[in-house]
This record gives sequence, structure tokens and C-alpha cells, in this order.
Amino acid sequence: MKNFRYLVLGALAATALPFLGLVVGAQAQLGPLGRAPAEEGGPLMPPLEPGQAVQGREVYLSLGCVSCHTQQVRPAGQGRDIAGGLGARPSVARDYVLQPVVLLGDRRRGPDLANYGARIKDDDGVHRAILHRVEGRDQFAFLYSGAKHEVPSDRAIALAAYLRSLRQDYPSPEAPLK
Amino acid sequence: MTQEQRSGRPDEDRARVSRVDAPLRGPFLLLFGSAVLWLTLGSALSLVAAFKLLPAGFGSCEWTSFGRLEAAARNAFFYGWAGNALFALNLWLLSQLGRFEIRNGWMAAIGGLFWNLALIWSTVSVIISGPGAYALLDFPAGAGPVLAVAFALAGLWPVVAYAKRPTGHSFAGQWFVVAAAVSFLLAFVLAQVTVVWAPAAGVAQAVAHSWYVRTATLLWLGGSALGLGYYFVSKVLARPLHAYYLASVAFWTYFLFAGWTAPASLIGSPVPLWVQSAGVVGSMMMLVPVLLVGLNLLGALSQEGGWSRAWNSTALRFISVGVVAILFSLVLAAWAADRSVNAALRFTSFAEGQGVLLLYAGVSMTIFGAAYAALPRVSGSRWPSAAAIHTHFWASFLGAVGSAVSAFAQIGGASQTMAFVGLVSTGLLLAGHLAFAANTFATLLKGSPAPESHPAQD
Ligand code: HEC
Repeated sequence: MKNFRYLVLGALAATALPFLGLVVGAQAQLGPLGRAPAEEGGPLMPPLEPGQAVQGREVYLSLGCVSCHTQQVRPAGQGRDIAGGLGARPSVARDYVLQPVVLLGDRRRGPDLANYGARIKDDDGVHRAILHRVEGRDQFAFLYSGAKHEVPSDRAIALAAYLRSLRQDYPSPEAPLK
Repeated sequence: MTQEQRSGRPDEDRARVSRVDAPLRGPFLLLFGSAVLWLTLGSALSLVAAFKLLPAGFGSCEWTSFGRLEAAARNAFFYGWAGNALFALNLWLLSQLGRFEIRNGWMAAIGGLFWNLALIWSTVSVIISGPGAYALLDFPAGAGPVLAVAFALAGLWPVVAYAKRPTGHSFAGQWFVVAAAVSFLLAFVLAQVTVVWAPAAGVAQAVAHSWYVRTATLLWLGGSALGLGYYFVSKVLARPLHAYYLASVAFWTYFLFAGWTAPASLIGSPVPLWVQSAGVVGSMMMLVPVLLVGLNLLGALSQEGGWSRAWNSTALRFISVGVVAILFSLVLAAWAADRSVNAALRFTSFAEGQGVLLLYAGVSMTIFGAAYAALPRVSGSRWPSAAAIHTHFWASFLGAVGSAVSAFAQIGGASQTMAFVGLVSTGLLLAGHLAFAANTFATLLKGSPAPESHPAQD
């Protein structure tokens, strides 16, 4: 039976070691992280989210937007995110400290949205983006009413507020803006 | 060292096989039957999801939006198909090898029942109210504990069978299967705690999630599939595995390194650099067990006409495809963990292609092969249709290869032609799975009495 004990304890250890190293290690390092000013006396960043954006995040989650969109900008040496205009600086862990669920995503069928709020100009544009119109057909038509899907539902309004709140264009202690 | 350990052949007593199989019948058929239903449901959902990516599929129904269908299909395949099927096959395999006669089979059946009820609940919830942020953990919060308890009842039997085996003999296939079972249960509980109940801080959630996904995929599904591979390669070829003395190194390195590969899926993400580096190193280290497993299994297949014998055995035809695909997908994963390669591949369809190789061409094909051997033994009736077996093999082989090719070809950007190839391949997978389902249920319905009366058939 010695063999049996070795096997089971070994398998448990093999499973738990990476958990202790990676997950507990990351938690120990990131757990104390909070909002902070980029320089002495500056405003605390990231900014608090408006209430409607918090509701909008629930809509974003429930419609599975994360299956096609990421919310993270990689550093300049790692891919063409910054060169491609997805953000002015790389995302850092502190950008996410206020989010109850982190929607980093790992698949980009559509563009990264970490800085969507910083690049969009008007609400109409946001609603056009949410509809995802291709060849005259709208992927998310059910969030709108009206003949041309021009009237947003409450959920679409909350979702738009959420999308507009997405921005990482403030300086952060770990990632100053040049 | 025992005879079996030296020879690298599973320890097995033919005459007793049927006595071992008979009490298994109820739980095995329940678990495997539900697995096949989930497989069909999952492939149908995948096909609709693939269609939903085309403008023609854009609809006005929230329930069938792409993100929800994709999540439901993924869970159906992973927990419904692979999970249930491995409960059944791992129990069967370890009962065989340990001459274990299950007494409390009803516990496995109850576990399977609750596993399936919790999965139905989760699927309905994903479709009606949406998936969560984390793939493979998007259950309603209450379903997690049910799944954990159900797994303990249905999935830990290989451990019991191993503990109770009458001799000190053991064979590599057993180690993989036993370790796979205990490691999944631990990983599932830890992931529920750190991602769902008391979420880790900010992006540490993403680290916890990546660790769970790799552990569940590589240790539970991958480990079980390799265990079946070790058994069937040596059983069907009826000779020792190549360089069997290295099997214990292959096993331990596989289990020790696999979890560390997790953060390779977070390269460039806003998580600490040392975490990312551990993932890179872990992925490279996985090449050691890949090489050793390859030496054991592909080495044996490459000797004395092994491949052609594999081709002529239904079980081993599926399983050798499966083993090659699992090993190849791990080599690809190591390559993609290189930072500069990763810079170009991350967020593209590369991960989909690699996942198809690992899960559809790898794990799933291995499960099919093992089922072709196990089901007739347990149910006591032969597979009714050879044509359905052929259809199944070619449709699922070409479907998996086509899906992977379509994903790899679209790394640089979406292409209409390749999206079409992907859609057709997903259709082929569904066709193959339907052929398999028809054949399986025909076998189950034919079900002659338990094979006790005619021992040592086959
Ligand atoms: C099936 C994949 C898919 C899903 C699901 C999806 N999107 Fe998109 N999204 C895209 C694609 C592709 C584009 C690019 C469209 C284009 O360029 O015309 C896009 C573009 C966008 C844009 C515009 C981005 C920019 O920089 O201009 C926004 C905003 C957006 N999506 C939000 C969402 C939201 C919110 C959801 C969930 C309700 C969602 N998407 C779900 C694929 C998807």
C-alpha cells in the first residue's frame, strides 16, 4: 500500500504546488494593491465607476461579449497593441482593482476594448458598435427596438455607459504616460 | 519489481474479466449513455454557434447569441461528454487491471445522476441568463458544490479500485488514471473558492482561472486519455511498451509540470512578470514528458508493424490518432509559449486550433477507441454496425483536422473560405458523433444479459 499512498499524495502535491506558487503567490502580491495617485497629491486612479456602468458590466457579462473582445493592452515589446492604437500605455494590474470580475478575455474576434471609452466620440457611435451591423444584419438587434433598431433598451443604455467608461488613459505609478 | 513492471504489459486475468464487468454494468451504461447524449448536444450547439458567426446567423434571439452557445457547447463537451465518459471508462479500466468488483455501484450511479442534473441546470442557466467571465467555470454559484460532491461519488472509483487491488502490481496506465481523478477534484474545489466564492484580487482571478483550465484539461482529461493510451497500446499490440522503465519518469514529469504551464496563456497580460515566466518555463519543461510518453507509446507502435496492427484494431485506430494529437498539441503549446512567437499568436484563432487538436483529435478520439473495446464487454452485445464505425472514424478525424486547419489558417485574419471549411468540419464532427450515438444506443438496446455466462469472450 506504500505505493498507493505515494501515488495519491504525489498527485495531490503535483496539483497543489502550481496553485500555491502561482495563484497564492499572485494573490499575495496583488491583494494589497489599491487605487493610487500617479504622483504626490494627484487624483486616485483608477476612477470610481459610474453606477450605470456597473449595471452595464452585467449586460456585457451576460451576453458573452468576452468571447470576442479582450480588455488588455500588452506592453510595447509584446505584440503590436500599442503600435496598433489600442492604448497609450500597457495595462497594469492596478487598472483592474475596482472590478469585481475581471474581463481580460483571451480571444480577439473584435478589437480590444480596454480604451474604447477613450476613442469613441458620441453615444450614437457606441450604439452602432453594439449592434454589430454586417451586410445589413444586426448581431445584437434584441437590445433595440424600432424599424432600424434605433431605440436603445435600458440594457443597451447601461451597456453603452459601461463601454464609455472603459479607459486606461490616465497615468499610473506602474505605467506613466509619456 | 514485479513481472508486470518489468515487462510493461498490463496485469490482467482474462478469465475473471467478465466477473469484474458484470456489477459495473448499471453505472457504466448510465454514465456512458449520458456522455453520448452530451456529445451530440454539444456538437449540435457548436454547429449553431459556428453559424452564428456569419451575418446570416445574426438573430433577434438573445438565447442563441454566440457567446452563450459557445459557452454551453464547451461545457457540454468538457464536463458532459469527456467527464461522464471518463467516469465510466476509468472505472472500467481500473476494475479490469485491479480485478476490482465494484459493490456500491449505486453510489457511482447517484454521483452520475447529480453530475448530470447540475450540468443541465448550468446549461439552461448559461443559455437563459448568460455565461460568466471565466470559461469552464461558468456555472451558477450553487452548481459548483453539487458537481464537486457528484465527482467524489462518480469519479473517485479508480482510486478505490487501485487501493483494493489484490497484488502489489501496478501498470503505468493505472497511475495516470488515479492521479487524474484526485487532481481534478482538488483543482475544481480550489478554483471554485478562488474564482467563484471568494474571488482572488483583480487579475489574480485570471491566474487562478488559467491554472484551473490547464489542470482540468491536461491532468484530468489529458492524464486519463494517456492512461487509456498506455493500456490499449500494449494490450492490442500484445507486447511490452518501448522503454517501459521510463514510464514512471514520464508519468511524474507530466503531472509535476502540467500545472505550471498555466500562465503561458497570460503572456503580455497585466499579471506579474514572474508568473508569466513560470508559464513559459513550465511549457518548455512539458517537452520532457511528451518525449518520454512518445518513446513509450509511439516507440511501441513503430516496432514490428505496430502501426498497421493499430490500423486494423478499431480501438487502437482511434487511440493512436488520439495519442499523436495530444502529444503534437503539447509541442505546439511549448512553441507558442516562446515570447516572440506568442506575441504574434496570442488572441488569435491559434488557441482554438490547438484546443481542437488536444480535445477533439486527442482526448475525444482516445475515449472513442476505449469505448469501442469496453462497451461490448460491459453490455454483452457487439457493435451492430461496422459502417457506422467507419463513418464515425472518418467524420470525426476529418472534422477535427478540418477544424484545426481552419483555425490555424485564420491566425493572420478571418477568411471567408476558411470560415466555411470550419463550418463544414463542425458539421462533419456532428455527423460522426451522430453515427457513434446511433451505434451506441443500438448496442445498449440490444443489451443481451450480462456476459457472466460466456467468460473470456474476445
Ligand atoms: C462574434 C464575435 C463578437 C461578439 C460576441 C461581440 N463582438 Fe463586438 N465586435 C466584433 C467584431 C468582429 C467587431 C469589429 C466590427 C467592425 O470592425 O466592423 C466588433 C466591434 C465592437 C466594438 C467597436 C470597437 C471599436 O474599437 O470600434 C464594440 C464597442 C463592441 N464590438 C462591443 C461589443 C459588445 C458590448 C458585445 C456584447 C454585447 C460584443 N461586442 C460582442 C465581434 C464580436
